[in-house]
Amino acid sequence: MNVVIRRRETSLGWGALVVYLGALALALGICAVLLMLSGKPGLGGLAILFRGAFGQGYSLLDGLVKAIPIFLCSLGVALSFRMQIWNIGAEGQFALGAVGATFVALALPGQPWPVLLPLMFLAAMLAGGLWGLIPAGLRLWLGVNEIISSLMLNYVGILFLEFLVFGVWKDPGSFGFPMTAEFSPGGQIGRMGPALGLNLGKLHWGLLACPLAGVAYGVFLSRTRLGFELAACGEGERVARYANLPYGFLVLLVMGLGGALAGLAGSIECSATLGRLQPTVMVGYGYTAIVVAWLARLKPWPIAFTSFLLASLRVGVEVLELRLQIPAAFGQIMEGAILLCVLAGQFFLDYSVSVRFARLRRADSAAPGLEERA
Amino acid sequence: MAPQQSRTDIASVDVLPQVRLVGVTKRFGAVVANNAISLSLMPGRIKALLGENGAGKSTLMAMLAGRFKPDEGHIEVAGRRADFTSPREAIDAGIGMVYQHFMLVENMTVAENVLLGQEGGFLLDPAAMRATVSALAGRFGLPIDPAARVGDLSMGERQRVEILKLLHRQSRVLIFDEPTAVLTPPEAEALFSALRTMSAQGKAIVFISHKLEEVLAVADEIAILRRGRIEGEFLATEVDSPAELARRMVGRDVVLDIARAPVPLGRAVLDVRGLSGGGLKDVSLNLRQGEILAVVGVAGNGQQQLVEVVCGLSRPETGEVELLGHGWDAFSKHHDWDGALAWVPEDRAGLATCRSLDLTDNLLLTTRQGFSRGQWLQRARAREAARRIVRENNVQPGRIGLPAWQLSGGNLQKFVLGRELLRKPRLLVAEQPTQGLDISATEAVWQQLLAARADMGVLLVTGDLAEALALADRVAVMFRGRVMGQFPVTDAAQVERIGALMAGLSEDAA
Repeated sequence: MNVVIRRRETSLGWGALVVYLGALALALGICAVLLMLSGKPGLGGLAILFRGAFGQGYSLLDGLVKAIPIFLCSLGVALSFRMQIWNIGAEGQFALGAVGATFVALALPGQPWPVLLPLMFLAAMLAGGLWGLIPAGLRLWLGVNEIISSLMLNYVGILFLEFLVFGVWKDPGSFGFPMTAEFSPGGQIGRMGPALGLNLGKLHWGLLACPLAGVAYGVFLSRTRLGFELAACGEGERVARYANLPYGFLVLLVMGLGGALAGLAGSIECSATLGRLQPTVMVGYGYTAIVVAWLARLKPWPIAFTSFLLASLRVGVEVLELRLQIPAAFGQIMEGAILLCVLAGQFFLDYSVSVRFARLRRADSAAPGLEERA
Repeated sequence: MAPQQSRTDIASVDVLPQVRLVGVTKRFGAVVANNAISLSLMPGRIKALLGENGAGKSTLMAMLAGRFKPDEGHIEVAGRRADFTSPREAIDAGIGMVYQHFMLVENMTVAENVLLGQEGGFLLDPAAMRATVSALAGRFGLPIDPAARVGDLSMGERQRVEILKLLHRQSRVLIFDEPTAVLTPPEAEALFSALRTMSAQGKAIVFISHKLEEVLAVADEIAILRRGRIEGEFLATEVDSPAELARRMVGRDVVLDIARAPVPLGRAVLDVRGLSGGGLKDVSLNLRQGEILAVVGVAGNGQQQLVEVVCGLSRPETGEVELLGHGWDAFSKHHDWDGALAWVPEDRAGLATCRSLDLTDNLLLTTRQGFSRGQWLQRARAREAARRIVRENNVQPGRIGLPAWQLSGGNLQKFVLGRELLRKPRLLVAEQPTQGLDISATEAVWQQLLAARADMGVLLVTGDLAEALALADRVAVMFRGRVMGQFPVTDAAQVERIGALMAGLSEDAA
């Protein structure tokens, strides 16, 4: 038997959809098996999950609310992934954004929202962006791998947040719970429902940041010179040097912008969902964002869609946790299974695999041949 | 097996070549990488395969190793036709390769690496493994400590491990791809004596190189490969000097007759005085608008370092480099995208273009400043310019939406050259511009370069003497980082000596 792997010369078109659906089905199958292994109904569990995630209007709205921070963080990491800079630090940048926004909200109580909210966003983006610049600078000037440094800085950022909330920022009236005082009304992003006269659940005006950031991301990459230079840098530092691209500046730019977007997500989450800062603001959106960016192959529309999908998955798993007493880690297992299956499936988008049964006389020397037309 | 016995074994098969290539041809699109090659590899003989980069050596080796199938002709092993469908079959047939990049597990010991995959049983016997490897090493004169970790070894020792791997698999033909590239001179000496020991024990050895002295030192027979053909095959004893070998290697035959009208000379665009460091020794060159200066020499004699300095990638250590009348520092930091310097590198697929970007984006790679207003890219204008380059230079297939990797080398090169000329440079650096190109693409590139020189000075770095003599107004010959001679192509006496200069023989030595 001879397995021949060739690079595709034309893209797969609609066949890609089959690949993605197949990968998704495989991932769900794995999850069903895991459920059964822990003594729960496998397919029944998946049904509960789906109804929980998509079955009701409010569950869809809940998914949308959770998709907002994921989408913003994901755009940020996708920007750096474009030029092969591996920013794993969205979680920490998100934390710093929440801290920055809280600082402004606590320092300027009673200001009207047109003053307070923009200042909070600005502070959040500044804090997140600077946090993102640390691994960029370490990489450029000391040659430190940005994967390690950005990942480690997540823990530093989260601990810094907790240090503030458990200490100087703790609300005296919180009965010892680690949380700040509630933001003044001008520091809280309102819900969309009452203003529009609709029942939109917890959906809030922070949603507007998504189309704004998404359009800016798309225009930046496809229409500006810097955006083009960024994509070209993704081909490696040698090409960047040949073409005289500002490699170092671009590394700082993508890490700064990525941090700013994650910081913005942190401030929105604090201000709209919690109305204050508390450690529960950190639920791993920054890590989910990395999964989303990969699944969506760094393109803005797929990032939006995938953010919503994985946010809904979180909603569904919450229902599953309650109904079947499944540990919360199951959501992460599902996320991981989907990522691995889809990434493995993406191999088939770029390569065609054919199996040839060669002459039987050499059946013993089954050797895989790997060919790539350059 | 006692040595006497093996001697008689050899004698009995001596009439038969171990491996024979019969009229082997391999094409990639329009490029004929190997053209009707016939070679015999005899047991007990060391055959050197000499040729410049791009002459077709690696394609030939890939076919022997079972990675490509010949389009025409076939390979015979011990007199029987062998059609390899996989590398495994070539290994089983007794053909072993020592590549430039070693394939060893650094965390394992020498003995473990040699026996990897052939341990025999389920349980390992480290002492026996070490003994086996020691015996093998002793027999072929490859001293090594079988218990040493490969990661701790020098390059020369690692190479010995690679060779022992092949010997343990009973390879009868050993092919060495530029084996001395990673070795120090004493290590190279040790390798040569090991090669002689192995050949004395009946192995057929192929030694691929472009280092002339080495080939003369070690080979019994020499075959010269040029533009995909065997251009000559002779005994090493028939060659008197490295100079003669160089002459045979680079050739003088005119591949294309190309009209060259003289162009008036303009201002100096490049002036290098006493450049040293990074492998260069006291290099002085100058180039004016209206002329092509060819830098010729066997690859690896400092051409790369010279190009990197001129193109602003590495800073000159000592000496003066003046570009378009500016010092190196001022010029490399601030030169404009157009009207200054353009570079057509040797690696057109990996450096000059991005393989996954389409032709418009690849055009923008070096011309983006010309197609933007402020920060906004003018893609429509860039598409128009890409279309024009494709049309004027007959780039096939002519669709600008294709990613670069789908173009053949020749078409990609025509596109890259068209793009670089769009920058209206006054100094153009072209490195091996026709390497691996077919005749028609070569001619197109040559015409482009000749026409371009009216507006600029062209620094042409090439290993192909025919190309240098067809295009250049002046020639500079490099050897070991030095410029051995610099003269106009009309100076017939000097041109005659290019081979000698490339081999490092200067006036006083000759």
